[in-house]
Amino acid sequence: MKTLALVLTMGATALSLPPLRVLIEQSMVWHMLVQMPLLVAAGAAWSTVVGDRLTRWNRFGLTGFMLAQCITAYWMVPAMIDRAVVLPGADAAKLVTLWLAGAALRQGWVQSNLAVQLFFVGYGLPMMAWLGFFLASTDRRLCNAYSLESQLQAGQGLVAMSIALALWWGVSLRRHLATSQATVR
Amino acid sequence: MTVAAAGTPLPANLSADGLLHTFAASLLVLAAGLWALFDATGGGTAYTTETQRRSEVARAAVPVPDFAVVDALGRTGSLREWLAQGDRVWIVDFVYTRCATVCLSLGTVFQQLQAQLAAQGLQNQVGLLSISFDPEQDRPPALADYEKRMRMQAGVWQAVSLVNPEDRRRLLDTFGIMVVPAPLGEFEHNAALHIVTADGQLVRILGLEDGPRAMALARELANASAP
Repeated sequence: MKTLALVLTMGATALSLPPLRVLIEQSMVWHMLVQMPLLVAAGAAWSTVVGDRLTRWNRFGLTGFMLAQCITAYWMVPAMIDRAVVLPGADAAKLVTLWLAGAALRQGWVQSNLAVQLFFVGYGLPMMAWLGFFLASTDRRLCNAYSLESQLQAGQGLVAMSIALALWWGVSLRRHLATSQATVR
Repeated sequence: MTVAAAGTPLPANLSADGLLHTFAASLLVLAAGLWALFDATGGGTAYTTETQRRSEVARAAVPVPDFAVVDALGRTGSLREWLAQGDRVWIVDFVYTRCATVCLSLGTVFQQLQAQLAAQGLQNQVGLLSISFDPEQDRPPALADYEKRMRMQAGVWQAVSLVNPEDRRRLLDTFGIMVVPAPLGEFEHNAALHIVTADGQLVRILGLEDGPRAMALARELANASAP
């Protein structure tokens, strides 16, 4: 898991540096649907190293989910996406905080029960899908840094990603319910 | 459901241990998150760079730096002097003359403004200026061609380009224009109407749909500065 975290972190960071930086500068898809998820995944993979040392501050995963939610919402604001493209400082902050969001999400996930998961999944995924629909359907360029074409693709990608994550959650939920029923019997 | 018998400890995941810590930490995180979002979006009013740029300029005018510019006839001069001539208020837009997309709608808006200015004889109060951000391609012949295509009337609407291509970055940054390469050698950029006073202050940025408001505001500023 540690190696995976390291590889993911290096991959995501490389996208912010030349020569790969041009990808996230020119394509909103590379920025929002490749680099950002990579960062979250990298943080999540690393978070197993922490173990349950933070449980006291993270009962039911509440703090972890809250942190992940705030950070991802922040980097979904079009002006912040522009800033990450233009200002190196903002881009560095993005790398650190989204990685942290991944770690927090994983820490939250393992501590959470169904009600807490339902609340945050029910809030976060529709937010992502709504932003995706908006980006794909408006004829206004919301990011000055990206072309309308790129925005359209990113919007469709966000919708697809939110559906995929919802399905993933559904499958893991079913598996979880099946195993817990088995233990009851 | 089974009821826990008296004396048996509650399952670990239901005990109250750490709940207070957690609530405190969650609230702190939520407060910090909301504050960060509030701060970054101008109090929840500006979610795009474009709205932020417009409200910043509306709050405090931005002085336009001086650049050497050239017009369709090959006459060179400084942008500041250009703006100061005739003591007019300018409505400025940014173009590249090969443009076939957003600049066409910009062109239409400017044509309407031009017609209005000419019809009402207001060209001594308000001038229209198109500045090219593609100085390498847009030499005087290209500008002349553009002026012809757009049916610009001399004395009402003019086009200029930068003499030194290295000024491009500073010009775009001052006005907050971001130019993005698009397919077929085109550019995409945030298009707007920039109101600039004769003394070179960028005082307001309005959307393309706000032509009448830009005109009213420019006239108001021109009247206010008239002796």
